[in-house]
Amino acid sequence: MKHLKYVLIVFSCCVLTSCYSVRLRNVNGAPQPDPFSDRDDYYRGMAVVEFDTVISIKISSEDFTYLIKEKEACESGKINIIEYRNTFGGVLLSAITFGRKRKVKVKYVCEKLTN
Amino acid sequence: MATTKSKFLKEWNTLHKNGPFPLKILYQTKLEGERVMPKKIDRYNDAAKEIQRLIKETQADGDGFRAYGSAWSMNNIASHKDRMHYNGFMNISMPIHNNDCHSNSSYDSSNLFLFECGTTIKEVSEILAENGKSLKTSGASNGQTLAGCISTGVHGSALDVGSVQDYIVGLNLIIGPNKEDIVYIERDSKPVLSNDFIKKLNARIIRDDNLFHAALVGLGGFGFIHGIVIEAEPIFLLKRYVKKINKNIAFELAKTMDFKNSTFTIPEETDVSGKGNRPYHYKIFINQYSNDPECVVELMYKKKYEEPYPDPFPVIKESLYRDLIYLFVKLAENLPKSIPWLVKRLRETIMPKVDDQTTGMLKEIFWDAPYQGPAFACSFGIDHKDAPKAMELLGKLTRDEGPIPGIFAMRFVKQSQATIAFTKFPITCMLEIDGVLWKETKKIMSLKKYSKRMIEVLKENNIPFTLHWGKNSDWTFPGLVKHMYGDQAKEWIKHRQSLLSEDMYELFSNNFLKTIGLAPKSIT
Repeated sequence: MKHLKYVLIVFSCCVLTSCYSVRLRNVNGAPQPDPFSDRDDYYRGMAVVEFDTVISIKISSEDFTYLIKEKEACESGKINIIEYRNTFGGVLLSAITFGRKRKVKVKYVCEKLTN
Repeated sequence: MATTKSKFLKEWNTLHKNGPFPLKILYQTKLEGERVMPKKIDRYNDAAKEIQRLIKETQADGDGFRAYGSAWSMNNIASHKDRMHYNGFMNISMPIHNNDCHSNSSYDSSNLFLFECGTTIKEVSEILAENGKSLKTSGASNGQTLAGCISTGVHGSALDVGSVQDYIVGLNLIIGPNKEDIVYIERDSKPVLSNDFIKKLNARIIRDDNLFHAALVGLGGFGFIHGIVIEAEPIFLLKRYVKKINKNIAFELAKTMDFKNSTFTIPEETDVSGKGNRPYHYKIFINQYSNDPECVVELMYKKKYEEPYPDPFPVIKESLYRDLIYLFVKLAENLPKSIPWLVKRLRETIMPKVDDQTTGMLKEIFWDAPYQGPAFACSFGIDHKDAPKAMELLGKLTRDEGPIPGIFAMRFVKQSQATIAFTKFPITCMLEIDGVLWKETKKIMSLKKYSKRMIEVLKENNIPFTLHWGKNSDWTFPGLVKHMYGDQAKEWIKHRQSLLSEDMYELFSNNFLKTIGLAPKSIT
């Protein structure tokens, strides 16, 4: 029972410390709004693009490029805010696949078109 | 052609979740692309046609219509139970050239710009900065749209400048579906645009000081504000100080605005004889639950724009702190006695850090204020000479009948010429309590009840006041508008009735206007 307690504490510490978000926000430009959105978080009223996927990286590749293109939720094709989230599951997946599978959890908001 | 998307809804809410309020249809109009319609003036006029089409459609269905911007108002002033239009994508900007100006214009044309309604303060500021210009003041933030700011009288704490509407010099309104329903209003005594330029907007010209002043703070009732001509000024820097000073000195300054003869001075901000300079901005923070004889004040001094200056941006913005406050307040709903303790513990996250010093452009000092959860704000306009007394009364009320999860602040704004601007005193002290929305429980009164009690206390003590149009209050309080504005309110209604047809008067009247008595069938 006592061991289980320690295991749980260590496990909780791993989960808590490995879950974090890093947000980059442009000091200039306005985020693209979305009046039809009913989000209740930091991105309230904004047109947010989210992707939560697993990417495969070849052993010979050092990085992965995701292209941001012009679309309805990103009319300018330019980034205003981007948030990257790391999770315990992601760290675990990367570890057990020796880095070949990576969990990518990103939210971004494009810049509002200027006129 | 500009295109409009519509969505059938049952309700709509403000950014800070002060609703929900009923709604049937929400529109959003996007401008035609630059590749298809390269000229700005063509895209602008094309958008006007689209808005007229929506007004016509709304009128045909016997519905009402209201435009809104960033939804920052904390009551139902921006809402309409029938149809609402989101303006945020309408953000064309055009500089006004010398040959676009009226022959009698006294303005420096390099300071004049036309902005479409949905341009946010941040966008306006960036466009101005690219031209070496700045807004004279903002609402101490940058997310509001220009049309939203002027419609509700948004202000900062610029003692000698005023509110956002006070540097507006022309308004292009759409007041109906017909050709003659696009109008451009400016002061007769201070014309700005030439008739030729106004014709390019397909607008009917109205030069009338009184009508212009009524429409300036129009509460969304003077039609669809399509374009706004502003007078900017050459770019400047603000040097910001946060100090802790004796409350009596802070209140004395509030009462007299005499910074020259005050015992409080900032060594870097004195004249040759060592007397204090007059700041651009003065704000007092009051924790009504604290017995501390000192309080935090924020002062800003205007400086010439010079590069380089230290980076004013904080290294990183933590989004966690307000969530924590929200959590504490949720707990406090059931344990209201803990609120003063919580406010004290959280003082460093809800008040600026003492001895902070920053320099930056207006647009940098008042940068983004991200959404941080449901919020409330009650804001009274009071003659600055009455400010200490009013603060004492409202602080006492909040302690004795509260506690309420928020803290007070006092900002000071120059008088506006707008007919029903809440900054109606020679220098208005905007006495406000901001905080996190709470739910009424047996132990803590509702926001509406608290708002009502504040009005009652000021009335009982014969302190004249106004209320911020975009903030929380008991707007159903009997005779409120008459008490605040007297004949000025009648004047405002008269001008609104003279501008709009009967149908359009009804179409642009929402529940807020009807509740406060500013949309009567006839003037009483």
